[in-house]
Amino acid sequence: MWQTIVSYIPDWIVFVQALVLLIVPIIIYFTSKWLQSALGSLTSEGTTTENKSEENTPEDGKAEAEDNAPFTGEYVTDLASIKNRIAKNCDVHFREFTMANGKKAAIIYVEGLYDKELIEVQVMKSLMFDDVEETEKPSDETKITKTYLMNKMLPISEIREALNLQQVVSDILVGSTAMLIDGIVEVLLLGSATGKTRSIEEPLSEGLLRGPRIGFTEILSDNTAILRRHGKNESLELIKFQVGTRAKKDLVVAYMNDIVNSELLEEVKRRIESINMDYLPESGYVEQLIEDNSLSPFQQAQNTERPDRVINSLLEGRVAILLDGSPFALIVPVTFSMLLQSPEDYYERWIPGTLLRMLRFLATFFALFAPALYISFISYHPGLIPTKLVMSIIEARQGVPFPSLIEALIMETSIEILREAGVRLPKPIGPAMGIVGGLIIGDAAVNAGLVSPFLVIVVAVTAISSFAIPSYSAGITLRLLRFLAMFCAAVLGAYGTVLFFLLLFSHLVKLKSFGVPYISPISPYRLDDWKDFIFRLPFKVMKRRPLLMKTKDSDRKK
Amino acid sequence: MFTRTDDKITTAQTVVIISCYMLGSGVLTLPRTLTERVKTADGWISLIVGGLIVLLAGICIVKLCQQYPGKTIYQFVQEIVGSWIGSCLSTLMILYFVAISAFQIRVMAEVTKLYLLEGTPMWVIVMSFMWIGLYLITSGINSMARLFEIILPITIVVLLICMFLSSEIFEIDNIRPVLGEGILPVLRGLRSTVFVFIGYEIMFILPAFMQHPKKGVKAMIIGTSIPLVMYMITYIMVVGALSVDGVVRSTWPTLDLMRSFEITGLLFERFEFFLLVIWIMQIFSTFTITFYAASMGLAQLSKRNIQPIMYGLIPIIFIVALLPKNMNEVFDFGDFIGSVSIYLFGLLPVVLLLITKIFKKGALKEDG
Repeated sequence: MWQTIVSYIPDWIVFVQALVLLIVPIIIYFTSKWLQSALGSLTSEGTTTENKSEENTPEDGKAEAEDNAPFTGEYVTDLASIKNRIAKNCDVHFREFTMANGKKAAIIYVEGLYDKELIEVQVMKSLMFDDVEETEKPSDETKITKTYLMNKMLPISEIREALNLQQVVSDILVGSTAMLIDGIVEVLLLGSATGKTRSIEEPLSEGLLRGPRIGFTEILSDNTAILRRHGKNESLELIKFQVGTRAKKDLVVAYMNDIVNSELLEEVKRRIESINMDYLPESGYVEQLIEDNSLSPFQQAQNTERPDRVINSLLEGRVAILLDGSPFALIVPVTFSMLLQSPEDYYERWIPGTLLRMLRFLATFFALFAPALYISFISYHPGLIPTKLVMSIIEARQGVPFPSLIEALIMETSIEILREAGVRLPKPIGPAMGIVGGLIIGDAAVNAGLVSPFLVIVVAVTAISSFAIPSYSAGITLRLLRFLAMFCAAVLGAYGTVLFFLLLFSHLVKLKSFGVPYISPISPYRLDDWKDFIFRLPFKVMKRRPLLMKTKDSDRKK
Repeated sequence: MFTRTDDKITTAQTVVIISCYMLGSGVLTLPRTLTERVKTADGWISLIVGGLIVLLAGICIVKLCQQYPGKTIYQFVQEIVGSWIGSCLSTLMILYFVAISAFQIRVMAEVTKLYLLEGTPMWVIVMSFMWIGLYLITSGINSMARLFEIILPITIVVLLICMFLSSEIFEIDNIRPVLGEGILPVLRGLRSTVFVFIGYEIMFILPAFMQHPKKGVKAMIIGTSIPLVMYMITYIMVVGALSVDGVVRSTWPTLDLMRSFEITGLLFERFEFFLLVIWIMQIFSTFTITFYAASMGLAQLSKRNIQPIMYGLIPIIFIVALLPKNMNEVFDFGDFIGSVSIYLFGLLPVVLLLITKIFKKGALKEDG
């Protein structure tokens, strides 16, 4: 009895392995905990430094008090204080003149930003050449009030008043023209910035054959106008936020007020308000600052240049975020299937739309697993491939000196470099580079015996497949994960590939974008949502908005 | 929040979990274990009967759990039989779940070593598998349910395709005559069929997580019928193709079936690879759910946080999985677990249900 029990006590090596088994996940757990807290504290560190600067020196406080003090109404002192503040800038100009009634006035503007025609024709002309009829003139010549100016003398729609220096300076610097008149306490701010802008063009990153050829631009007001123009719709609401602690930028949250789930909206607002960053140059910053999981390789907001896509998402109950200065709008929450859908699926008839979607799912599978499967079959299980095929592959690989992982890595890495180079290159050289890189290097590598021709096919199919994914960001993710899959396959063969699949999906089922499971509607099963998933059923069948969005109004027809 | 933050599962997810748990190692071994006992081709009748018995036991479990809404067996068993016996029963169940998950891993490692990774040390196979399982279960039952929802359809489709392809060598004569030797062989097979339906005991835990615990019986019925159908198809196809004698002689009859035919003209000529892939996934689901059940039990018994317990259980399961010295001992181990399962989860729910009905009637009325 005792003997049998002893014989079952495992070797000490098993205990060592068990210890390793325990320690590795614990290390990973604490590392990820530490990483997450490090990533999370990025913003809180920002606040502490900011507080420091605020309580810096008493001089700062003095300057602030000066900023908030109202204008005196005396031309010379007010002008001097403004000049003192911003005259060092080479692009700020002060134009002083005398009005028709003899009073002194000054116009302050930023070169290149101010509305030249408006100021010259509508403002200066009407002030300098007083052609208002005698009868309408105020009885007392010296008393030109602000109201009189605004009502009778300045035919401009956009007039604001500013009472203190801070307001005036910040508005001048973003492109308004300030007007200072002797005897009037308020400074008038006329017009708004009209810097040079890009015209509306077709989106570069999301080309379509059929569909509107309109894309967002860098100007927020243009973008919101494009959204407004989608049709008469009172429920589209656009709320403005200001983000950035140093350089403030406008950010607009767009949604349909009678469709969107209000808890989702509140969550989006909360996360945007908690953004703490001195400057946000692109919506990618916003995306990364509001996402749920910074350690995930998957994007948790969809970026798009297409207004039609944004409007469609809004009608599904999602929320769009537009940042000034970026042509990319963000759509939240995002699900994995959205990244594989193109607006064209809806514009074409449903049968081709459905087939195209299935094709894209297939392409995703290839883009992720093709090289991994190649490696695992060649290195571990050649017996599973048909005999004739395996003969020809082995024959082709005869001269290759490397194991299949190195072989695949050489080709995959060079094709990634090629693609990266192709993006940076000037347009006329790009295609030439593609031909040189793809065809000549590939052919030469095969002839030199570095790689087998079969692998070239695999790599080419993989590369083309990853181009078939409509969203560029999703493509990057898949490219990255492909290398992971290759390593798994190289270590454990097909078993490693299956494990990679399980790991990938274990991660995906955990991931949430603004509370929505990332891989819904695959799971949890929402069969109604499957109508617009791998399939794109006829519109007559798709009567409801996605259930996963928990919209206020689930019916698409009234 | 916008979505539920509580860790609840839908009825469909319950069905999927039950099915995934049941569809474990049985797919590969069932035809042999069953035929060894039955010795005729009537195992499929045993399967149906066994399935029905398991279903009854499962419904008992669900009924029992419905008396204690929101509580798992570990919590309410002490209320029924007192804290001492209750703790003992809970410990037994935890040991049982640990044993099952260790057994599943071991079987998976053996098959993987045999068919996919010759020469790779067992611990490499087992470790990588366990780490991924741990990664999944740390996020709770809802994530697990969602993963199973992806795995189960893939399993069903691939299994059906494999079985359909093997119809080429299927001979109806191999499974005839029906009941040629009377009813006795069918009864002999019952024991091993009950073993392949191990998994119904998860309903001791699941109703506590269900959004609609009232639908537990429905979930149990559907959850049992999916594996029942799958097992029936597998059994009939394997025995039909390999004949009773052939099945008894092979260790993994279903894989041998897949290897025994080649279909030319398709990309792949042999399909055992696909079968292995889905089978590894199924083992993964069985392993994770038992692992979760065991850690949940320990957490509730000791009233501690579940996360450290999950980490702590890993080396234990690993060592238990490596205890059997060879394949025969692995199967003996499996048989032993099967017998324990029958006593623990076949009789226990009935007894507990009776106790509750008799003694707790008054208490329930007071509550209501």
